[in-house]
Amino acid sequence: MNIYDLIRRRMKEIQGEAQKEEPVSNISTSSVLTAEITLISTIILAAIMLRFLSMVLMIFVVLALIFVAIMVMPVMPKLKREQNDSLASMMFYVVLALGIITILFYWGNLNV
Amino acid sequence: MSLHPANLLIPLMVIIPLTCALLLNVLHGKDRTVKIISVVVALALPVLPLLAGYGTQYFGGYVPLAQNSAIASGLPTSITGSALSLFHPAITYFFGSGQKLMLFILGVVALFSIFASLYEVKRPSGVYTYLLFMLAASIAALILTDDIFNLYVFFEIAALTQVGIILVSRVKGNYETALKYMILGGIASPMLLIGIALLLGVTGNVNITDIAYSIKTGLVNPNSSVLLMACGLITFGWLYGAGLPPFHSIKSAVYSKALPNGAAMLQAFSVFMFVALGIIILRIFGYLPFTKVFIIGISLLAMVLSITMAITQTDFKRIIAYLAVGELGYIGIGLGLGTVAGITAGLFQAVNEVVITAFLFLGFGTVLYKTRQSDIRKLGGMMFESPKSAFLVLLAGFAMAGVPPLNAFQSKLMLIQATLKAGIPELGVIMILLSIVTFMTFMKAFYAIYLRSKPKDLKILEKKIPRVTMVAMVAFLVICITFGVFPQLAIGYLQPLAAGLV
Repeated sequence: MNIYDLIRRRMKEIQGEAQKEEPVSNISTSSVLTAEITLISTIILAAIMLRFLSMVLMIFVVLALIFVAIMVMPVMPKLKREQNDSLASMMFYVVLALGIITILFYWGNLNV
Repeated sequence: MSLHPANLLIPLMVIIPLTCALLLNVLHGKDRTVKIISVVVALALPVLPLLAGYGTQYFGGYVPLAQNSAIASGLPTSITGSALSLFHPAITYFFGSGQKLMLFILGVVALFSIFASLYEVKRPSGVYTYLLFMLAASIAALILTDDIFNLYVFFEIAALTQVGIILVSRVKGNYETALKYMILGGIASPMLLIGIALLLGVTGNVNITDIAYSIKTGLVNPNSSVLLMACGLITFGWLYGAGLPPFHSIKSAVYSKALPNGAAMLQAFSVFMFVALGIIILRIFGYLPFTKVFIIGISLLAMVLSITMAITQTDFKRIIAYLAVGELGYIGIGLGLGTVAGITAGLFQAVNEVVITAFLFLGFGTVLYKTRQSDIRKLGGMMFESPKSAFLVLLAGFAMAGVPPLNAFQSKLMLIQATLKAGIPELGVIMILLSIVTFMTFMKAFYAIYLRSKPKDLKILEKKIPRVTMVAMVAFLVICITFGVFPQLAIGYLQPLAAGLV
């Protein structure tokens, strides 16, 4: 099964969960495919910047990301579902971000 | 108090739209009066920054003792000989070349947003124009102020004004989005205020120059835990104000629930809030290496999440909204690089983005005006209905994607060059990649709305696009081309501000 079909199937599954009856069009599948490729390539490119910390760490993380990307593909339909307009979901990520930022700024500024 | 006549215009850039806003609210219902006052004051908004001379304005206090011999002469040397003589015991507004350009661009966007709001409807609303002027005044204060508490006050006014702009839009789902935005603001705004309070507690000051001085000269411990916590909380408030992740979803929803002219102002607020608080974070906490790493990281996240979300949307307002949030990432990367070239490029990108996004909101707004429809799956054939508007929208999309010879091409090119100079080519490659996806996203929407054949059930209203909207789009295009062909016009104003931050 190629990536296009995989994405179309996953989108259908997610739409099914949301009880929507809209068809999955070519344009929406192509859009998600583009977003998927963009997301993965950007994350891998960003991971290359870990070379400033350690070259070995960078190689390990990039290889791990490629492996994970292949295993969990497609990510975009799930990511889109997570970034919905539900207040509960937004609140969850806001509180999570607040926790991460306060910890990171305390730890990160003393250790970077 | 500084009495140079041109310097008196510095506070007037905030006071005039603020007073006008209050007046319009009272005059709601008196259509002709509302229109006349709005037109006159809106015309003044871009003119005031051009007339004002560079300088500093002090409110509710006096100039630093070091510059004020009259007061300093009667004080003991324990005060005049200490850092206290350098501190600013007043709310200080600083107006330099960078502020001049940003306020001019804000004035132009506000002018056309207000004009569009007045002429796209049969009866102008005093309340709606009140909100637009109040937002313009708040953004001007954010750009000018050197006082972090004053910034917070105007940030709160702007946040409430934004909610008002969504509430009066009559777009389906606007109440729900406004409520969600307020609830999320209920978490983020107090965090920002606590961060400012911690900063005040550690440094005893709310003036940004004085706080930065205290940290730089060792008057306070730069690695104090309280200071680090303040940095974290202020940064969290910055994410909310600018609409960076995790607030990118609600921010894009906010844009999409406002009228196009209102959305143009809302995005101007986000960009200038991003720049104003981003500069403050760099000035106060720039000595912490992690701060810049974080700015780059969150900017990358904003770009990736927003642009990949934009391409999967089916509502054109939401597409532009996500693209607008994604474009913030480019500004952030420039600021995060921390070099003069990077910050200048970031500021140039900010100025360009305000113009281009306003251009796109007004341009796509013409489709909404004619069809009352924003779902691209239900649109089509608009090229035949409004070819001039379609051509202008196409150019706006080209500008956003960074197609030469338009303005964002220059700023994105500068950003890429800055990343190469900084030794981080990966950032440059990511920016190019995301610009291509931005272009694809725009073309997908453009094709669906303008080039595809018209769906049978699409009803197009027999209304002519208001001339003021077309004039606004042409004016934005002129700015895009001017800054694209002569980038030094903008860079010359922004570089001194960037140089002062490094």
